[in-house]
Amino acid sequence: MIKVENLAKTYETKVRKGFFKSNKVQLEAVKNICMEIDKGKIIGLLGINGAGKTTTIKMLSTLLLPTAGSITVDGIDAIKNPMTVKKRINMVAGGERMIYWRLTGRENLWYYGQIYGIDDKILSKRIDELLNLVGITHKQDTPVENYSKGMKQRLQIARGLINNPDYIFMDEPTLGLDALIAKELRQHVKKIACEDGKGILLTSHYMAEIEELCDYVYILNKGEIIEKGTPKNLAMLGLKNKTVYLKVEKNSVAYEGIYNACRLTDNSVVVEHDNKEDQFIITSALDLKLTLSKFCMNNKVPIIKLYEEEPKLEDAIIRFAKEA
Amino acid sequence: MNLKTLNATFIRNFIVQLRAYPKEFFIGNLLTGIYTSLSAFFMYKLLFRGSMQASFKQYAGTGDYISYVIVGTAVYLYVVRTCLNVSRSLITELRTGTLESIMIAPFNRMQYFVGSMLQQVITTSGEIVIAILVSIPFGLRFPNFNAMSFIVVFIISLFSFFSLSMVLACIMLYFRDTYISQNTLFLALFLLCGITYPIEYLPKLVRIISGFIPITGSVNLIRGSSLLGLGIRQQMGTMIYVFILSTFYCVLGFKLMKKIEHIALEKIQG
Repeated sequence: MIKVENLAKTYETKVRKGFFKSNKVQLEAVKNICMEIDKGKIIGLLGINGAGKTTTIKMLSTLLLPTAGSITVDGIDAIKNPMTVKKRINMVAGGERMIYWRLTGRENLWYYGQIYGIDDKILSKRIDELLNLVGITHKQDTPVENYSKGMKQRLQIARGLINNPDYIFMDEPTLGLDALIAKELRQHVKKIACEDGKGILLTSHYMAEIEELCDYVYILNKGEIIEKGTPKNLAMLGLKNKTVYLKVEKNSVAYEGIYNACRLTDNSVVVEHDNKEDQFIITSALDLKLTLSKFCMNNKVPIIKLYEEEPKLEDAIIRFAKEA
Repeated sequence: MNLKTLNATFIRNFIVQLRAYPKEFFIGNLLTGIYTSLSAFFMYKLLFRGSMQASFKQYAGTGDYISYVIVGTAVYLYVVRTCLNVSRSLITELRTGTLESIMIAPFNRMQYFVGSMLQQVITTSGEIVIAILVSIPFGLRFPNFNAMSFIVVFIISLFSFFSLSMVLACIMLYFRDTYISQNTLFLALFLLCGITYPIEYLPKLVRIISGFIPITGSVNLIRGSSLLGLGIRQQMGTMIYVFILSTFYCVLGFKLMKKIEHIALEKIQG
């Protein structure tokens, strides 16, 4: 397990004041973060731009030294023993970086395998397996510069797995990919966690991706964790008002009754009628689904459709960020 | 001993160089050698009218200006190619977006740099051998070539180039720029290290500065073995001096590198 306690990072940057003068400015990128990443789980790290996601990932991957706090990987102090920890972790980033464009896919994996000190026989077998896993065996001897964006990203994932790490940090791995390839990659990520038992920390701007993949999510804002929980719970927490859609057979008396039934239950309710779809959109802090269904049953108003809008993680993130 | 990082970096750099810089690049470098020989030839024949001052013979130990300049320039070419490419290897990783992916690996820094260095030495040696062959018709002569001494001083010289590269690598990575080093530092090395004239012609203060640059000693050592026929014992003093100075630069470079790497990664992020 990766255990992070009170992790903080402050950058010191210089702001120019004229040609010779400059002022030092302290920027707190991450403040007192605590989190846990278990093997076999996909943990999401969410937040708007500049929330501190990438800084956190870079500290976890030993690339940046924290200003305060501790990181332990399976009980090993990552700050004191970075070389030991490096063998157990790896990182995958979006945006066509982290691979050599002049080398072929196989040469890339060979090079990274060599600098990890992997035995030649094991490495050759692992390269074959990884190329097969990410589906680029047919392009293994083509220089990466001739790869499509999706293939480069798949190679990145293979590179991230070359040292058979226990934990992988994925920083927006589907950035800039089309829907089909992004879906394929999500399947790979799921497989890596569920079947291979690797712990994954994932950041993404695509909420659907987080909702689909993550077992647990931390929401960062201005360097602090402001919420945490399962994607479903967070979406529910972030949902201030529930929206119910109701469509009944056209009946002016029934329409009037629906308005009244809603207002009687919640006087702050907003009831709108969508003329195009000929349906009611009812927004309320209370659960009005049951009230409406009872009203229709008692008044023998045939219901064509009645459903409550699923809470969205995206709305929750926006709400949490605004409140913070 | 596990030399995987050295071997892999050496092979990787060769492949990248072959694919990135095809034969035109090789020809370009050859032309540099030919131009050097030609300029030395014309300077000697047209400017100096085929004769050198007595002071030159006294300081250089030879009156053969053409050979003196060609050997000096060949050493300078080694300096530029090895120092420049080794020192900018990490900043190149930064520019190609691979710095983080190698930094996350528990790789051996020394092997990584030595791998880059060896690849450059082999490529440059190929070019210099051809440049030397081309220079022979223009008057390049090795009448007193001491092979054994040359091998030893060549190895020490490579170490001195490597050590200077380590310090340079820190400077480049810190400033995230290769411009200063490429366009200023190498020109300073050309002027200060006795590439085309003995440093005794320089003012005293400049000579002191020149003495702290290991390249100055290396140029003298290589000229001593290849042109003057000096043996290992006769050059022992200079060899020890260059070795100690280079060790100092090397240790300094590696010590600084650990800190600079983190600063560089923070700068990218911060």
